[in-house]
Amino acid sequence: MNIIRHHERKLLLIAGVVMLNGIVAVNIAQGNFDYGMIGVTCGLIASFIIVNGILTKAGYVGDPFLLPLATLLTGISLTVILRLKPNLFFVQAMWIGIGLLSFLLSTFLSRRLEEIAKFKYICAFIGVGLLLSAILFGVDIGGNKNWVMIGPLRFQPSEFAKMFIVLFFAGYLSERRDLLTLATRHYGPFVLPHPRFIAPLITIWGLGMMMFVLQRDMGAALLYFGLAIVMTYMVSGRLSYVVMGVLLFLLGSFICYTFYPHIQTRVDIWLNPWSDPNGRAYQIVQSLFALGSGGILGSGLAYGYPNMIPEVHTDFIFSAIGEEMGFVGAGAVILVYILMVYRAFRAALVTNLSFSMLVAAGLATSMALQIFLIIGGVTKFFPLTGITLPFISYGGSSIVANFILLGMLFTISEVRAADEK
Amino acid sequence: MKNNITPIVNNIRKVAFTLLSLLVILFIYLSYLQVIQSGFLASHPMNRRNSESSHLVQYGMIVDKNGEKLAYSEKEENGFARKYPYGAITAHLVGYDSPTYGKTGIESTFNSYLTGMNNELNHLGPIHRLWPRESGDTITLTLDSKLQEAAYKALGEHRGAIVAMNPRTGAILAMVSKPSFNPSTLEKKWENISTNENSPLLNRAVQGLYPPGSIIKVMIADAALSEKVTDLKKTINCEGTLKVPPDYVLGESGLKAHGKIDLEEALAVSCNVTFGTLALELGGRKMAKTFERFGFEDALRGELQEVPSQLPNFSSLGNGDLAQAGIGQGSLLVTPLRMAMLASAFANQGIMMKPYLVQKITDVAGNPIKEFSAEEWRVVTSPKLADAISNMMVSVVNNGTGSAAYSSQVAIAGKTGTAENPHGDSHAWFIGFAPADNPEIAIAVIIENAGSGGSIAAPIARGILLKALH
Repeated sequence: MNIIRHHERKLLLIAGVVMLNGIVAVNIAQGNFDYGMIGVTCGLIASFIIVNGILTKAGYVGDPFLLPLATLLTGISLTVILRLKPNLFFVQAMWIGIGLLSFLLSTFLSRRLEEIAKFKYICAFIGVGLLLSAILFGVDIGGNKNWVMIGPLRFQPSEFAKMFIVLFFAGYLSERRDLLTLATRHYGPFVLPHPRFIAPLITIWGLGMMMFVLQRDMGAALLYFGLAIVMTYMVSGRLSYVVMGVLLFLLGSFICYTFYPHIQTRVDIWLNPWSDPNGRAYQIVQSLFALGSGGILGSGLAYGYPNMIPEVHTDFIFSAIGEEMGFVGAGAVILVYILMVYRAFRAALVTNLSFSMLVAAGLATSMALQIFLIIGGVTKFFPLTGITLPFISYGGSSIVANFILLGMLFTISEVRAADEK
Repeated sequence: MKNNITPIVNNIRKVAFTLLSLLVILFIYLSYLQVIQSGFLASHPMNRRNSESSHLVQYGMIVDKNGEKLAYSEKEENGFARKYPYGAITAHLVGYDSPTYGKTGIESTFNSYLTGMNNELNHLGPIHRLWPRESGDTITLTLDSKLQEAAYKALGEHRGAIVAMNPRTGAILAMVSKPSFNPSTLEKKWENISTNENSPLLNRAVQGLYPPGSIIKVMIADAALSEKVTDLKKTINCEGTLKVPPDYVLGESGLKAHGKIDLEEALAVSCNVTFGTLALELGGRKMAKTFERFGFEDALRGELQEVPSQLPNFSSLGNGDLAQAGIGQGSLLVTPLRMAMLASAFANQGIMMKPYLVQKITDVAGNPIKEFSAEEWRVVTSPKLADAISNMMVSVVNNGTGSAAYSSQVAIAGKTGTAENPHGDSHAWFIGFAPADNPEIAIAVIIENAGSGGSIAAPIARGILLKALH
């Protein structure tokens, strides 16, 4: 009997209860009980259990925490979106369903992950292509110019680009790890590897800066650049690369700050939002008010005023959680993310295949950076960047991309379990 | 192969540690924001949540002692709006509730009950949603809206104030200040109301400071008797003026000589010479003691928001000024509420009750939350002296300056005052109570710059006393 999957099923049921409880609570608080919504929620919970069954049948022994944690987060997502924008509830539920399918597909494909290492340049091509498509054909929706329209479909390529970039880095770096650590050139006080080996770093830095300037997408720029630096460090173990990367980024940022007024605005309102609370800093100030008004226990679902924050259901969804569920709820969300990132890094650490290891570590890093950037942004801990909160923000691209990512992590985590047997 | 990746494993471990630490720091920062900074952010004036939520709550009612609505909330298109059925009549007491100009009166002092925010469950966040409240609490006043309306009408177009209270309990029965304003149209007419030279926003009953004039003589009479500088039989010869060395002369109104009169007769005719003499005989120290004994040094706390009386510095007062203090002139300034309390003390055997306006607080279902009862504030004189002063006050009305307050149906005790002031004609005062042998209501009436208390204030007081006893 597959004990791991049995544990997973129990955890999934607990997460399912949380999801159902949230949906019922909002229905009661808003005074109209919609059986369709309850039905869809139960259907989703059943789908999670079915996925668990399929994984059991297929003999998977991957990490039993990853899927239940994601279920918990999507449960919070559905609850909060039903509370904020009830007409988006069914769309979000549909995306979670599609995300679940993508997760299954991803777990099966990831069994052959090592073979993908050979196609690293294709991955790079797709990743960069996705990013460029956003830069070249980006449409402004809700203040962020990172949407691409294909016919009636619209999606955010940067959500999908990150896994291709991670695959590319993992393949490129694991192949050249000896060169990165050994082959160096001296440029004055700096110790650098041969330019050939830091070329991808430079490329991603350039792309990041382009996104920064052309799309005002500071979040994605920071995310990709951070990813490039961290993954290079993982392979080389040289802090000098990190320092160099940060210096390059600061230089780029400084140039942008000097020449682009919108970057200046972002930084200025971060440094002192109270100087213009009704103008440029309106969103962040409203977010702080929401979090402060929530206090420890929150106002209760449906009893707060999170809709005072513009774009609350996407980038600022965390503030809505903080207002209505208080520190207890918002803190719990951070703890769930900490657990998830921890399990993701564990998956990396137990593999003995360097490519898989780097992929898992890269995905874990991208997840951690993204969470830090957006939660840090809405709490004014860090300058605000337009980026989604994994598994919680409204939006198909974000949900599906994160489930694919989760599927990859799940399969990579199997190696450890296989060893333990 | 395995050896090869060991350094990578170590590096990933460091990265994992760093990134997880960042998330933990974020968690700690969030706790700072939502726990320590919470109060500042939640109550920030630019946080619209407070004003938004106030429209969604049905505020409690303010009702008089008979349950007559003085203020209530009514559902309108954009939430609840406050209604004041008695408008200007109860404006100063009930107060107003304006998003722009804030709150006053009971609307302000009992805000937490009216909004239902006093509920301890509120601190439990979502838990208190389990017991939803339809409305805030109801505040029941001691006020009698019929008497209040009568007092408001009795003031007519005059500026002035009337305070009526139950001398045995301190319960305020009516409290009127004129000119007044309509709290329902306050927002629209704010400019006009706030800049009006007659200060309609001022609650003259508790915030108006006036020289008491001759009505203070009841207290001086009590002081003279209790300090034994005179007795009920001793007479003074009034020649119309009192020469106070070195160069001050205190005169009767019209410089009329009262002749040889005892204390009761002196109070009935409001003899300035007698009370000037008594003040001088008492001296600064005993005068100061008397004012202290009657509570003029102590602030009244609570919902009435009275301004403190202004007393002269008795220890450094010259004889002329001391004689003036004996007839309620000079730098002595008091509120109408204090004068009603003074009359009440003599009506209540020398015990001054703490005036109060709120009788009880009940929740929507009528369950009591808080009840207020009569509270003894201080003993100002002995029952025997109080009785003696009361009898003198009856003769003021029966055969003295207060004859305009005389009623054949009920014995009324009173004292008139005509207070000179730097703002024009004298203020007309009357304090009193009825029935004299078993007092149920005490009153203070002041009409600004209207002339003599006996002819202007006394008939108004009579009307209200009779209305209350009817």
